[in-house]
Amino acid sequence: MRTYHKKRMVPIVIMLLLFTMMMSACSGNSNNEAVPTKEPAKVETEPKATEPAVTEPVTSEGTFLEQALAGKFKGTKVSMFGPFVDADEQKFSASIKDFEDKTGIDIQYEGSKEFEATISIRVDGGNAPDIADFPQPGLLSTFVKQGKVIDVSSFIDKAYLEKNYNKSWLDMANIDGANGKIMAGVWTRSSVKSLVWYPKKQFEEAGYKVPQTWDEMMALTKQIADDGDPAWSIGIESGAATGWPVTDWIEDIMLRTTTPENYDKWVKGELPFDSPEVKNAFKIMSDIWFNEDYVYGGVKSIVTTAFSDALNPLAQNPAKAWLHRQASFITSNLTSATKVGEDIDFFYLPPIDPQYGKPLLVAGDIYSMFNDRPEVRAVMEFFTTGESIKTWVQSGGVIAPMNDADLSWYSNDVDRRMAELVQSASTLRFDGSDLMVGSVGAGTFWKGSTDYISGTVDLEGALKEIQAGFPK
Amino acid sequence: MKRRQKKKGSKWLVNGILGFICLIWIIPTAGLFVSSFRPAADILETGWWTVFPHKGWETEEQMTLPKDTDLKEPIEVSGVNYSDEQLKQGVTTTEGQKLVWQNRRGRIIDVQEKQWKTNAVFTLDNYKNVLGGKNYEITQSDGSIKIEKGSNLTRAFVNTLTVAIPATIIPVLIAAFAAYAFAWMKFAGRKTIFVIVVALLVVPLQVALIPVLQNFTALGLNGTYLGIWIAHTGFGLPLSTYFLYSYISQLPRDLFESAFMDGASNFTIFTKLILPLSVPSIASIGIFQFLWVWNDYLVSLVFIGSQPNVQVLSMRIAEMVGSYGNDWHLLTAASFVSMIMPLAVFFALQKYFVRGLMGGSVKG
Repeated sequence: MRTYHKKRMVPIVIMLLLFTMMMSACSGNSNNEAVPTKEPAKVETEPKATEPAVTEPVTSEGTFLEQALAGKFKGTKVSMFGPFVDADEQKFSASIKDFEDKTGIDIQYEGSKEFEATISIRVDGGNAPDIADFPQPGLLSTFVKQGKVIDVSSFIDKAYLEKNYNKSWLDMANIDGANGKIMAGVWTRSSVKSLVWYPKKQFEEAGYKVPQTWDEMMALTKQIADDGDPAWSIGIESGAATGWPVTDWIEDIMLRTTTPENYDKWVKGELPFDSPEVKNAFKIMSDIWFNEDYVYGGVKSIVTTAFSDALNPLAQNPAKAWLHRQASFITSNLTSATKVGEDIDFFYLPPIDPQYGKPLLVAGDIYSMFNDRPEVRAVMEFFTTGESIKTWVQSGGVIAPMNDADLSWYSNDVDRRMAELVQSASTLRFDGSDLMVGSVGAGTFWKGSTDYISGTVDLEGALKEIQAGFPK
Repeated sequence: MKRRQKKKGSKWLVNGILGFICLIWIIPTAGLFVSSFRPAADILETGWWTVFPHKGWETEEQMTLPKDTDLKEPIEVSGVNYSDEQLKQGVTTTEGQKLVWQNRRGRIIDVQEKQWKTNAVFTLDNYKNVLGGKNYEITQSDGSIKIEKGSNLTRAFVNTLTVAIPATIIPVLIAAFAAYAFAWMKFAGRKTIFVIVVALLVVPLQVALIPVLQNFTALGLNGTYLGIWIAHTGFGLPLSTYFLYSYISQLPRDLFESAFMDGASNFTIFTKLILPLSVPSIASIGIFQFLWVWNDYLVSLVFIGSQPNVQVLSMRIAEMVGSYGNDWHLLTAASFVSMIMPLAVFFALQKYFVRGLMGGSVKG
């Protein structure tokens, strides 16, 4: 009996196996053709995404945002994936809560500290989120090239975008796609990089003045050194990313010593690193960095000091160092006892050559869309409004790039002055190393600079090493 | 008599080496433990070992030099000349005191003496923040400030258990069946399949992430517990099968032959004989698998994500440090909280553990 049973079991098992294999094979195929979405709206909207000729952005029923506010997409879900977590995540949820309540759209945000690595796995695995938040346009551009990102201008009015964003922002969102340039996303958060932090109270007590030009800043540096302290606190250690703070310095100096066009060329790899412009920028930086009297802890400590700790010497009483150039986020590493705006404040990194005006180095987050559904369009449209980030702005820590974000929203003076900088800058340029090819911007640029600072190679050698990162 | 003494001597040697290795293993953990009770600012300034009494420099008095002291010239302090560089590093005088700049711009020098001291400042704040959740200040649109309490670890702890328990039981159970089949049942292709299983041991799971994810997306398994159970089962099976095979194949043949003769089916033999006999090795592979799943970050990151309703402990802890790593000090306390469960499992099953490790190692 038993053997009989066993024999009859074998074909059944084989049948079962075959069946499951067929199942997975079929589903695998359908997966390759389109990113599946479980929403019923998929069928009608998908053609829009693939057709180059796009439907009218504004239908008779109004924009997608208006339709959403009218409650048309109640009960739908939009998934979002991004790099900010913890406190930022809370602030984000607070800023979209009102919109969710009004429209009935549930925005499911998921944050990951490993965003950069995970997003590629998810997109390749066919599990792309509806909206992803890219802190680096360089990373986004690879997905745009593969044709995975939806063109935002296909459903948002161009004139409206031009009204609500500085042209520089829109230019930065225009990325080469599979069939020509597309508007690859909308800018929602920005941070300002061209800042020098200083211990305001002690600075004033010591009788120092905020420098307006680079020469004044160098004079101040010398004066502080003569008074007995090193002026600058510099740290570039950042684990695998050691060296990135150098890139910010060089970018800032580039913007101040050459034309924005040259900067763009440099970022694209058309202006080589060993050209006189770039070499000059490195030299100007070296005047500060390689002076034992100007750097806190001495030149050798630059490579071993964590970038995140480099502001701390300024916060001590008495201050151990007096100046620190870093983006706006660095204040989050201070202990709560230090009051930003009172104890520690910033001034704009002064211009070097007056003919290039007041350029500003910025970074920001661009929200891009992977799945085209009406409710996702509505959410994207919502993110172009200053309203979408209002409570975050009020809670502090973020600068809104939209023009309709009111300066009165900023609850503290420091953030407001940064927002003013963004709105009044003569040239706005994105952090170049985030735009460069990954092998340079997140590779040889970091490594070559670190080698140069640590003294293992000279400037010529370092620049050659960096340039070698460009694909041939 | 002589032989006994020799034996005793070698025992001391072995114990000494073992003790030394244990010490090397324990010191970092002990340091982490001490740090988890220290305030963040203290961790930055002094090492954890300074909480114990030790001899260190303590400022006795301060000396103020004339304001117009030229730092480039030799600097005279109580009759002796020192260079600026010496005073930056700290210089020891003939009386055993140390002179070091306290405030170079103010021309103030610290005079320090060696003294016994401790840096024993302890706080429970790290644990409070980890267990109770952090407080976030959020300004609302009307300008009022609301304090939002962040989620604590409870949810993530339960989620991790929900992932880890089935992801341990399922693969170990399947592996036990498979191991029995490979060891004692005769069927075509048995050797080939077994070689394939063993070969899978050396395939890194990273290469399977994207293909598995594609299939999961098609089947709608992403972000579900079922999906991650299956993933962990798949990744854990080769080792479990091989481990259990080596134990089960060593069980004496006579046992099964008599059972067969009495008319027992394979299933009966497995449940009535094999399972009870291989408890030690099942327990040890269970510990292995449980620890692996509990500590796993990559598989969870890819297949389950960090939505709060499914987020596991390892991801929650990574998130706690904040977008800019500003709350790194919470990692100390959080890692101890996450250690509780593996420790409990280990101590509950450890009496099987050593026996299980020997499983299959003695041919007989």
